[in-house]
Amino acid sequence: MNLEMGEALEAFREEVVAFLDANVTPDLVEAGAKTTSVFAPFEQAMRWQGILAAKGWAAPNWPVDHGGAGWSPEQADVFARECEARGLPPLLPHNLKMIGPLLIDLGTPEQKAKYLPGILSGEDFWCQGYSEPNSGSDLASLRCMAVSDGDDYVITGQKIWTTYAHHANRMFLLVRTSTEGKKQEGITFLLLDSMDLPGLTVKKTIGLDGYPEQCEVFFDGVRVPKANRVGAENDGWSVAKHLLKYERGGGSPGPALRRRLAALREAAARADDGMGGVIADDPAFQERLGALEADIVSVDYHFRHARGGGDPARDPAYPSMMKTMSSEASQALSVLMIEVAGLEGLPRQLEALGVGANAAPLSDGFDMVAMPYYLNTRAASIYAGSNEIQRDLIAKVVMAG
Amino acid sequence: MDLTFTEEQVMLRDSLAKYLERNYDFEKRRGFVAAGGHDAKVWGDLAEMGLLALAAPEARGGLGGTVVDLAAVAEIMGARLLAEPWLPALPSALCLAHGAPGAAADAALEGLLAGGAPIAFAHEEGRGLAEPARVAMQAVRDGDALVLTGAKRYVLAAETASHLVVSARVSGAAGDRAGIVVALVPRDAAGMTAEAYDTIDGRRGANLRFDGVRVPAADLLAGGDGDGAAGCDLLDAALAPTVLALCADAVGAMGALLKITSDYAQARKQFGVPIGSFQALRHRIADMAMSYQKARSTMIVTAAMMEAGSCAPRDLRLLKGQVGRMGRSLGESAVQVHGGVGMTDELAVGHYFKRLLAMDAMYGAGRMHLRAIGAAAA
Repeated sequence: MNLEMGEALEAFREEVVAFLDANVTPDLVEAGAKTTSVFAPFEQAMRWQGILAAKGWAAPNWPVDHGGAGWSPEQADVFARECEARGLPPLLPHNLKMIGPLLIDLGTPEQKAKYLPGILSGEDFWCQGYSEPNSGSDLASLRCMAVSDGDDYVITGQKIWTTYAHHANRMFLLVRTSTEGKKQEGITFLLLDSMDLPGLTVKKTIGLDGYPEQCEVFFDGVRVPKANRVGAENDGWSVAKHLLKYERGGGSPGPALRRRLAALREAAARADDGMGGVIADDPAFQERLGALEADIVSVDYHFRHARGGGDPARDPAYPSMMKTMSSEASQALSVLMIEVAGLEGLPRQLEALGVGANAAPLSDGFDMVAMPYYLNTRAASIYAGSNEIQRDLIAKVVMAG
Repeated sequence: MDLTFTEEQVMLRDSLAKYLERNYDFEKRRGFVAAGGHDAKVWGDLAEMGLLALAAPEARGGLGGTVVDLAAVAEIMGARLLAEPWLPALPSALCLAHGAPGAAADAALEGLLAGGAPIAFAHEEGRGLAEPARVAMQAVRDGDALVLTGAKRYVLAAETASHLVVSARVSGAAGDRAGIVVALVPRDAAGMTAEAYDTIDGRRGANLRFDGVRVPAADLLAGGDGDGAAGCDLLDAALAPTVLALCADAVGAMGALLKITSDYAQARKQFGVPIGSFQALRHRIADMAMSYQKARSTMIVTAAMMEAGSCAPRDLRLLKGQVGRMGRSLGESAVQVHGGVGMTDELAVGHYFKRLLAMDAMYGAGRMHLRAIGAAAA
């Protein structure tokens, strides 16, 4: 075993540090601090993507001839940890971890030429049309119909839980093109060039935190050229499964959770415990905080163990485990956050939560963020395959082993 | 970064696993445990494989193994429920190897490395010592010698040992790093009495009473010069690899228990189908698998950190707390999935479970380590 980073990696870290020192602006840090879900505030996340794209670092994992940085996994890790140390907002995954890699692998030459530059630079933002009101975990049962009409498909139906559709100018989606045979066999993968097409309506969904992050998207005879299809007609399910490969190739949740943990610790040191002391000195709180830290660190170590070539790197259950362990660690963290915030977490502070807002937090930034983070983090065990689905997958692997 | 075992480590693990498979299956183990848990032939075989000499540096006649070597073999021992006092004797071997040399210490270490009697570690007090600085047992100077008075708890292999490595306090109060001595005491020293017992996990332990046990200055391994922290430092140096190995042993037990439970869930039928087809039970097994993976990755990364010299006391607490918590949870689930038979002595399940419980309580309960992590940031 060997934890050495090597001189080359240290030199790389210095390059990253120099770049971040020169390019990070206060509004980006503010957006990081006001990120209360997995999705950072839209405007700053996209501006940060643009800055990184200009440097060639927006999509480090992409093939180099498509704009990737050609980094080793260790370099990607160094970069992620340096960004996290500065509290920068995470980039939105839709362009960079979903549709971009998918088109690189499966798009036509025309589609690549037309879409990849905007995907990388952040000039375009793509939303993801998968879930429907009656198709969540059982995604293959989706019913949003696309009927062939000459060179076009005509789409009628509805999508739901479409993150940031109200900010998007493009969309990738799954539609039903056949009701014959198995439900997986009649699905097609399409690209929409605009969110202003005739017959298309976006309706924002107000979340538990009072903020519209998710949307519903309605289709009433929306025409899409067949040239905008990825893969064959009725083969969209295998296209969608291909995309999962990238969704799961994430980094460690460790740095982000450790940053929130440090903020929690600081807040607990100032928070009155109602019994004459501060919460940080309460032995019961200390034990729970210690258990939480141990858990967060062990999820990070599980990631590092895989990165370091250990057994998890070859475990088919690894992606499902990381998803479940990370989401539940973040939920456990969010519970302690609202406990420490107490009453100060109850005022809804939508205005002050905006980046560049004139309104100041009522007490402090921690108290303001705690409750929205807690509420939004309930979704972590629901989205991207609910944790019940993940546990099914894990048990299947364990019991087959 | 490379978090895999070396080729040599893989070979050592494989040969140990094969040896235990042939000579130490669960039924054979039952016989060894009934006879006191320490079998001269098995112990000699471990010595022949180099396992008893692994912890000592070459300069002291050992093999100069690394902490990762220790963790690598301990994981296999846990997976096979080895009851031989390899782990209980490990901190003693480390204290002897890294403490002050002397005629008695050299002879004791030489004996141990050659497969002689184990050397017990008489350190724990009260309900468990989370850190060496909390040692309270009294050592009083009397001319050139020290006189030990007080009690030690849960001293494993005390009956079969030739000697004990004993921690005691010559000055200061519990909590002070200064003023601790580490002494080598013959098992038959005058003034020492033992109350021996079987432990829940198939070992032999004893509570020891010291009533004026004399230790000549030549038999002090550290701390003999007075009020410095040398004794505490030696205990820390011995306990860090020991706690790592203890956690690796527990991780090995967790992996074996997960496998046994998963197999049982597929074999056992109720309502005409394997119970492993029920989602409530499958999800419990998924949770067991995640507990195991978290514990194992934490052990592996901590081992690599310790080898690189970057494992702080806090990192070790985190490992101990996490493995203890994950281990107990996994063990409880294993019993639950097995149902009634999981409650019997007949199956290995309960034996693994109890090994995990014992691990959590030793060298400071996990609860206490976790609280210490919560109380202070790095």
